[in-house]
Amino acid sequence: MINPWMRFLVWPLVKFLIAFVIVQVIVAAMNWIERRLLGLIQARLGPNRAGQEFALFGKRMPIPWGLGQIIADPIKFLLKEDIVPSSAEKVAYFLGPMLPLIPAFLVFCLIPYGPPPSFVITHTNVGLLLILALTSTGVYGIILGGWASNNKYSLMGGLRSAAQMVSYEVPFGLSIVGVLMLCGSFDLVKIVEYQEMHVWNLFPQLVGAFIFLVAMNAENNRTPFDLPEAESELVAGYHTEYSAMKFAFFMLAEYSAMTVNCCLMVALFFGGWSIGIGGYGITTAGLQALGIWGGLLGAIIFITKVMFFMMVYIWFRATFPRFRFDQLMDLGWKWMIPLALANIFVTGIVVLALGEAKKNYYWGEIVMSVIGAATIALTLFLLFRGSRPAAAKVMHASRVSEA
Amino acid sequence: MLVEYPKPKWTEKFLLLDMFEGLKTTFRQLFFEKKVTVRYPEERLEPADRFRGMFRFSYDRCIACKLCAVACPIDIIYIDVHDEQREVDGKMKKLKVLDRYDIDVKRCMFCALCEEACPTKPKSIWLTTKTYELASYDRNDLYFNMQELEYWDDRPRYTGLPEEEAPKQIEGAE
Repeated sequence: MINPWMRFLVWPLVKFLIAFVIVQVIVAAMNWIERRLLGLIQARLGPNRAGQEFALFGKRMPIPWGLGQIIADPIKFLLKEDIVPSSAEKVAYFLGPMLPLIPAFLVFCLIPYGPPPSFVITHTNVGLLLILALTSTGVYGIILGGWASNNKYSLMGGLRSAAQMVSYEVPFGLSIVGVLMLCGSFDLVKIVEYQEMHVWNLFPQLVGAFIFLVAMNAENNRTPFDLPEAESELVAGYHTEYSAMKFAFFMLAEYSAMTVNCCLMVALFFGGWSIGIGGYGITTAGLQALGIWGGLLGAIIFITKVMFFMMVYIWFRATFPRFRFDQLMDLGWKWMIPLALANIFVTGIVVLALGEAKKNYYWGEIVMSVIGAATIALTLFLLFRGSRPAAAKVMHASRVSEA
Repeated sequence: MLVEYPKPKWTEKFLLLDMFEGLKTTFRQLFFEKKVTVRYPEERLEPADRFRGMFRFSYDRCIACKLCAVACPIDIIYIDVHDEQREVDGKMKKLKVLDRYDIDVKRCMFCALCEEACPTKPKSIWLTTKTYELASYDRNDLYFNMQELEYWDDRPRYTGLPEEEAPKQIEGAE
């Protein structure tokens, strides 16, 4: 038997460090990916030069596609002058960028990257609850940093962020409840195993997945909900007064939180490390049978899905214009929360009425999945049917000149 | 302007088709549309025919009347002339011969008043060339004599950063 020290201290630490490094590389790469994708969407090329003149031991080896940006940006942040405003509240100012980092990094040991036991760092039966609790503390650093900068723009950014986080934490949590009712567990591993035996939760919980997607954009202060750092109104929001590595810490925390939310999205609604329906396909049991290679395959599937959702963040940023603040609050309180509650209500009725009677044959879920899949299919059909919606008709084009 | 918008169908409202239409547009842009960026030192755009670029000067057309130097609002055209007896069409004629025709381009604002003032047809100094790579690492490099002005197009094109950035010796400025 393995030494308990090894089992409970060394191995989790090693696993956490490996996962941490991989996630941090993804976070660093996201900077380049985001700028590049935004560029491509806006008919530009984005950063494609950094690393062209890279040389090692006198031998020239150009880094392709501007990937050198991933290394260049952290180096730039490290070498820049760290300016502290003289009127800032020093202790809080230094704590500001550090505080959101701790929960954002801690959460990575609760995420199931692959099939258990090797690829799950901490297997607790309240993993989801812990993740929600930890991620919601990230806002403290933002408020603290915004207030300590002694700058009205920073303060406004911090306050907006707080208001936004509080409003969207509610639909964020409520959208998960439907999944919890279906799977009957807070354990992310159990939720993933449930999905591969039935169907991805996306289909029975389409409304939940949609609310989760919107709320996770709002939670991370991403466009179209990036009011805390709205550059046309607030300079840069809560990190206006931060420079060099402190600014990089804010970015790191933001992108780490994005990664966590994408991981949650994948684990809750998109089958985690498995690609399967009704127990067929790439399942946990199948991956476990392959040993460590199966686990790696599962982890690769998981990270691919996570990266897709990171792209979705960028895709949204490139597509949607920013909300006004009252519209944001309207959407959160008047639409998302009632919708999430209605989703819980319907899911509850279905689970109670149709689920309990026949445990093995889950009619209610099948009905909900069919409705969800039909909605997706209808949307795609209407989107790709070819005929454009009728254009706006101009009634009086010359009204201005008449006046 | 009064505009009447079409009423959205309930499906369009309910399924958020407008938002997905936007996502579709950006997706198409990402993968299928042509990018407009020109990677400058490697790729170049050919300027239009009416593009106003660097000077060109023609020694053969110039009659050394100095009107361009007079027209120049900042006096950066330097002309030296001497008279010469020369046989033209079997008759001896007194001609002006151009010794020096320099333009201090570093101070030039490309107003083209010299081109307007030039009496010859076609103009012996004109700006509608397609040369636009005028940047230099030394301001004294931007002083051109008539040979340089005449054969500007043969100058090497910009190829990126130079090997070493040591300031060059002053050339052309006497």
